[in-house]
Amino acid sequence: MSIFKTFLTRHILAPSYRCLSSSIRLASTAAVTDTSDEPVEIENPFQKEKKQCILCKLNITPDYKNYRLLSQFQSPYTGRIYGRHITGLCNTKQAEVEREIRKAQNCAFMPYYYKDKSFFKDPKLFDPENPIRSHRF
Amino acid sequence: MPTYELALMLRTMPKPELKSTLKRVATAVFDRGGIIRNIENLGFRAMPYKTSAHGLVHREANYFLFKIDSPTQAVVDLKEEYSRDVDIVRQRVFKVTDSDQHSCTLEAELLPPAYRKEVQKMIEIGKTQVNRFTYKFKYNSGLDYYPFQK
Repeated sequence: MSIFKTFLTRHILAPSYRCLSSSIRLASTAAVTDTSDEPVEIENPFQKEKKQCILCKLNITPDYKNYRLLSQFQSPYTGRIYGRHITGLCNTKQAEVEREIRKAQNCAFMPYYYKDKSFFKDPKLFDPENPIRSHRF
Repeated sequence: MPTYELALMLRTMPKPELKSTLKRVATAVFDRGGIIRNIENLGFRAMPYKTSAHGLVHREANYFLFKIDSPTQAVVDLKEEYSRDVDIVRQRVFKVTDSDQHSCTLEAELLPPAYRKEVQKMIEIGKTQVNRFTYKFKYNSGLDYYPFQK
């Protein structure tokens, strides 16, 4: 009889025990899991702001009719168009500014060899004495 | 029909004459199947440089801006006709292009040279070329003499 008992416990009841225990373990893990404490996915707080040139930032498209704006990119002494190392514009905007200045000069809106003296007191967008990149002048 | 901007400088003249000149300019556009979208008067002001036109030197001009839609072939005709008009000191035609959005590339341009795309491309091209500073002529060329000046 005792042999039969041990057989029964080992081979028939044992799997059910296992089932029971595993189900208990599952229940206990579910009780512990609490997602409020987990690390949260956020964007990099130390990410620097994207550098933009002044015309891109203010969303300005240079136009040859707006010669007052264009004259700010011109030397007051010689009327020369300042380069990228001085104006600090991106490639596209610098090319646009240069093209529009040429057009304005050609249309006689803007002088070639000097800057209109009524625009001398306009705010300075950049300092020609301190270029952002070194140059050979 | 593409849109054009017609920048006109008209000589100094009294208002009635100016009116008739503008009418002449406008009818020239209409005659060639064009339409006028907009006329802007940019005022009478001193020109930044003196201009001689039709045997006269002009230092002031009436600035006008026409926005026109006209057939492409008509533009040359228009310019030719306006160049013959004695009241027009100077005229320029520009095609109007709508600006396409672009994102600022300033940050990529301010990187040190080795990180810039265009510089990397140049280096790649340079690798495919013969470096003329380190290139040495090989004497096993099949010639029994040195072909260049020593």
